[in-house]
Amino acid sequence: MLRNKTLGSRAFNLGFNGIFLMVILMVMVPIFFMLTASFMPSSDIFSMPYRWIPKSVYWKNYITAIAGNDRSFVFIRNVINSVIVASGTTIFSVLVSGFAGYGLSKYKFRGRNLVFLMIMGRMMIPFEAIMIPMYISAVKLGLQNTYTGLMLPFILNTFGLFQMRQYLMTFPDDILDAGRIDGLGELGIFWRLVFKNSTPAIATAAILCFRGQWDNLLWPLLIAQKEAMKTIPTYIVKFTEEKSSDEGAMMAVAVLASIPIIVLFLTLSKYFLGGSAMYSAGKE
Amino acid sequence: MKYTGIEKRKARWGYVFVTPAVVLFLMFSLYPMLNALYNTFFNMKLLSLKPPKFVGLANYAYILTSEAFWKSMKATAIFTLGAFIPLTVFSLVLGLYITTRNRGQKALQLMLYTPAILSSVVAALIWMLIFDPRGLGNAFVNFLFQTPGINHNWLTDHIMLQISTITIYVWKYIGYFTIIYVTGIAKIPQSTLEAATIDGASAMQTVMRVIMPLLKPTTMMVSIVAMLNSLKSFSTQYLFTQRGAPLEPVNVVTLNIYNTAMRDLNISRACVMSFLLFFMMMVLTLVRMKSSERDVTVY
Repeated sequence: MLRNKTLGSRAFNLGFNGIFLMVILMVMVPIFFMLTASFMPSSDIFSMPYRWIPKSVYWKNYITAIAGNDRSFVFIRNVINSVIVASGTTIFSVLVSGFAGYGLSKYKFRGRNLVFLMIMGRMMIPFEAIMIPMYISAVKLGLQNTYTGLMLPFILNTFGLFQMRQYLMTFPDDILDAGRIDGLGELGIFWRLVFKNSTPAIATAAILCFRGQWDNLLWPLLIAQKEAMKTIPTYIVKFTEEKSSDEGAMMAVAVLASIPIIVLFLTLSKYFLGGSAMYSAGKE
Repeated sequence: MKYTGIEKRKARWGYVFVTPAVVLFLMFSLYPMLNALYNTFFNMKLLSLKPPKFVGLANYAYILTSEAFWKSMKATAIFTLGAFIPLTVFSLVLGLYITTRNRGQKALQLMLYTPAILSSVVAALIWMLIFDPRGLGNAFVNFLFQTPGINHNWLTDHIMLQISTITIYVWKYIGYFTIIYVTGIAKIPQSTLEAATIDGASAMQTVMRVIMPLLKPTTMMVSIVAMLNSLKSFSTQYLFTQRGAPLEPVNVVTLNIYNTAMRDLNISRACVMSFLLFFMMMVLTLVRMKSSERDVTVY
């Protein structure tokens, strides 16, 4: 990149690096705080100066976090709900995006531009602007407290779809024609040749969707009123409302809620960063 | 039946492939949008058995003249400006810094990005403890300014509360936008930078006169995406007010919509605000699309 030798003396460089490394450290501090505090009784969390290495490992926080205030262990159910909702939405949305992205990039049909404009227009509608009518419809259809109700509004993932289309625009037509000559049906071509060879675009779209769902608070807050149907973010809100003084246990909940997504991040970091890099083309 | 050419058959498959997306769009975007618009002209109440009455533009008049709504707009504006300006500036600086490093670029990116993958609720929870009167936040600020024992009321004082929510947001998303810049800078051809060096440009000149102009589309993109995202911020404000923080300074539009619908049960007024939010975001998105059409960079 810009490894410019004229960037000044070594001393300047050192100071420069020092400042930035401090900034990056500051970004990490709250995460270390969450980890360490989750192993401390509440009184230790607020005794300053803060001990960055806990005196002893205080497991009780994790027991409280998992068992819940009422020993109902509903947290485990809520974690399972989060996994089901996030993975379910991701799988369906990737299929829908793949289908539509393929249709929009490789087939000519009347109304194709209209469909594409609709997808682009959808990006302008914030979920927050349509959630109230959706909530009312969901209540009318009896979709409260169901997985279907939690997942349905997010299966059309316009960013994922748009990305699939852009990716498939550059997919070689020769491969598709070769498949046709070899007697594959259109669905077979899509599944065997296109879908299975689009891993980067699919992974980026999938991660984007999964992360969004893992983080989703607003819609589950509306739609999942029953304890057993809550997802992790709504569980956290309820847990903190009930138990205002047990800060150690709160941090334990926070750590447990973050483990799955952090594991995913460490194994698939390329696609996480890819979702962010998607914007940087100068044009989308 | 007449023989239909391969093109026609292919067109049919085109429809098959886009149908799921179109159906989902009609059901979960267009219909709720029109329904929201329809609701704004009635006095819809949640849980009410009475049929809603047509009230014309009364809801719009009510919202646009209500002091509470404008206070909420003010809170949204403060939050959005307070979040997107530091996000754009800091992520640009960090992006430039990361690309100048010889080693550890990847590790730095991953570290900066970590807050972005945490749930907003988890982020709010961590910072709630840091901003506790007895917490790290006070200890750190008092250490910095050598003012022991002062409580800065992070979560009760109106201005401090706004600063707190903005801090959390900037902390969470700084890595996300830094990555956008890193990718944007990586796209600038090495030869352009070499040419600048050969022509005798200093590092500062290279950054200001060569890199910055070439990064203009990325900067535009980052600032508008940051603005759009901050306009939709909800979780931090919700959690803080649930835990007893004053509502007014952080009553952003999304929180206001939620409370109006779920607490006051006034669907129609919530829909009016939803529409106003939609218009603001639409204008910003159109600006972004326009600017990205105009600013296609040629290296």
